Amino acid sequence: MEVDLQAVRRVFKDVLNGRMLREQADRWAYAVVREEETGVVTYSPPRERERIWAGVMYLYGIDTMIAPNAYLHSNDDIREAMASLGGVGDNLASTILRTLERPSQCLAVNRTSVLD
Amino acid sequence: MTVDDFHSSIDAAASDIGRRPDATTERSALAAVVVPLRQIPATYPNQRPSPGRLRQIDRVFFGPFFREKYGTGGDKALENGRIRYYGPVQPANNAGELAGRRYVHEFDTMTGCTRGWHETLDRMGNVRQVRPERHNGMTGYYQFDSNGRYKGSW
Repeated sequence: MEVDLQAVRRVFKDVLNGRMLREQADRWAYAVVREEETGVVTYSPPRERERIWAGVMYLYGIDTMIAPNAYLHSNDDIREAMASLGGVGDNLASTILRTLERPSQCLAVNRTSVLD
Repeated sequence: MTVDDFHSSIDAAASDIGRRPDATTERSALAAVVVPLRQIPATYPNQRPSPGRLRQIDRVFFGPFFREKYGTGGDKALENGRIRYYGPVQPANNAGELAGRRYVHEFDTMTGCTRGWHETLDRMGNVRQVRPERHNGMTGYYQFDSNGRYKGSW
């Protein structure tokens, strides 16, 4: 089984658009979790594994209720969770930004040590 | 009945999906080349490991497997040889006194079995609701008051 960030985001969107029931999203995530336990899940791309897994684990239990027919999470909660996953390629962009910022940080440290 | 009694007594669909029957073979096959990073003192065969020792074993052997996946919110070694891994609390912003939910994964070091459930927490951090993962597709909720006393199920 191969899981990518787009697939996870699609499930979030389908839930928010009403194209997928939360119960179905929960079962989809549960299937991924079970497959993961047997070690047959591959994450594409592998460097996104953490984010993909975080999304799957949010979806697993997304249908939690606090009373019959009353979900724990509002659509706003779900939207926030989806936003926290970031978009496809965000991770790469932030890595590049961090790399670009590094020389100035080193410079700042050196300047401080010279002043001391 | 409290939340902890509940976890001990219910049959929360224990599963052996986390069991690795080949683990011993695999380890002995690799023993010649693997240099252990940390020495673990021996345990007598019928002795239950103490929570401290369990944590020690967990850090060395199971940690990378379970903690990274299920224990980003913390973990707890129990007296009965089980380790619980807590996922992050997924916040609920409009659920009154309820703060959110988290997934808990429990690993029994004596049997190799795992089980899991979803907990709903209040803003004080008390577990107010438990939803065990059942393989028959039925969903049930077990509710507790703010003191941890069992209220009922639905």
